[in-house]
Amino acid sequence: MITAGIDIGHQSVNAVILENDRIMSHATRVIAGEVEAAAKTVFCGILERAGMKAARIERLFATGVGREKVTFADGNRTEMLSHVRGSHWLFPAARTVIDVGAEGSRILRCDSEGNLTNFVMNDKCASGAGVFLETVAEMMQIPLSEMGPFSLDSSNRVVLTTTCAVFAESEIVAEVHRGSAKADILAGVHESIAAKIAAVTKRVGIEAELIFTGGVALNIGVVRALEKQLEHDIRVPKNPEIVGALGAAILAKNSA
Amino acid sequence: MITCGIDVGSLSAEAAIFVDENLEAYSLIRTGPDSAATALSALKVALEKTDILQQDIEFTVATGYGRVIVPFADRNITEISCHAKGAHYFHPSTRTILDMGGQDCKAIRCDENGKATNFIMNDKCAAGTGRAMEVMASLLQIQLEEIGARSLKIDGDPLKISNTCVIFAKSEVLSLMREGVPINEILAGLCDSVAERVKTLVQRVGIEDDFVISGGISKNLGVVKRLEQKLDVCAHIPEEPQIVGAVGAALFARELLEKQKSSEKRP
Repeated sequence: MITAGIDIGHQSVNAVILENDRIMSHATRVIAGEVEAAAKTVFCGILERAGMKAARIERLFATGVGREKVTFADGNRTEMLSHVRGSHWLFPAARTVIDVGAEGSRILRCDSEGNLTNFVMNDKCASGAGVFLETVAEMMQIPLSEMGPFSLDSSNRVVLTTTCAVFAESEIVAEVHRGSAKADILAGVHESIAAKIAAVTKRVGIEAELIFTGGVALNIGVVRALEKQLEHDIRVPKNPEIVGALGAAILAKNSA
Repeated sequence: MITCGIDVGSLSAEAAIFVDENLEAYSLIRTGPDSAATALSALKVALEKTDILQQDIEFTVATGYGRVIVPFADRNITEISCHAKGAHYFHPSTRTILDMGGQDCKAIRCDENGKATNFIMNDKCAAGTGRAMEVMASLLQIQLEEIGARSLKIDGDPLKISNTCVIFAKSEVLSLMREGVPINEILAGLCDSVAERVKTLVQRVGIEDDFVISGGISKNLGVVKRLEQKLDVCAHIPEEPQIVGAVGAALFARELLEKQKSSEKRP
């Protein structure tokens, strides 16, 4: 059976085509302009990559904050459920899923069957979200993808005293003027984001294994800082940003 | 008796010079990267308006966010105490003070002598602070000083900004701009959301008349008017609301100097 999942986040669209137990193709695209148009572009892209026509997709589910905007979907599921399902499919031992996207984080708990049992989300404050990393990348003139590896060279991590992303910006400017090393500032930023995510995670309670999904999981600096703060190993899927879309495709497959 | 109060805040710094019980001169400058240098230039700007020399000042109290790094101060006192004392100087029947500063917001209760009795503060989040206003002014490419008046030039109720976080509110404002919503309408929404946010702070500390607002945002009528409506009170705003902390510090300096002098007289 061939199914597809489309995940509409605040900033990007992710899509996956699933054939039985194999990911046929996947894609990610930043939303510019209309959500529906972006969803269509990504969907056509994964079809082309998988070398198939739209008619071969037996069921398509949408998920994410903009899931209701995907008019060509056969159904939709919440991003909480999709992330848990996707994580559990990738790592059957998954019990805690930490999903951090552009505009917020969700900490999800599931049972051995991959059923969502509890969750907490933070979408009110940017301090633990991907946009903060983007702002810092721009300020420090470093590509987003290089921030993580770069920060691991830090030998004298800067301590950011403020939580708020707006206040942290001024603190970072002050550190730059003070001549602090770029790696040390970035390590401080990652520590601060990890602290915010860890606080939410602890509220839900931790059970191993921990899976980290969403775009922020691509930053190894945040992953390491979070592992230290939670005193647990964290598993990161190869493509952490597509886990929601994958989960939607799995849910589409199982809804028969 | 010449005393001085210095308030080094996150965005602005002020100095107040008192000769006996009278405010002789004051200054208001932008905080630079070096707090000590900022404090000194605030003092110099104030002294230039008088015949007083720096060495004539008998006692200096520093307050505010940067108070511990004012090298020429004799004492540091928290901005909570100084704001209460300063507000009491300008308006003796003050019982509740809302200080809306650059990087924090404090609701303070005080007694009939201007002594702070309780306070609640938000210094963790930029929403509702002067910094948020600056971020929005630069996003909308208008002057900070224009915001208040322009926000009142609308018909009907202000639109609702749904995000509290300044970073998220920025994207919200950007999409409102893209939709062609008039700037004044957006400003009204922003002022209303600041007023809403500080309202809860004041309510938590409890409001008792008279109510005084100090700090930079109190110069924004769009916020003040909406806050007055929400709280159903009339706010008193000192002529220069940004010097209330520095004035309070100078008055503390006076008290401390008197105490010092009287103890010196003792055999």
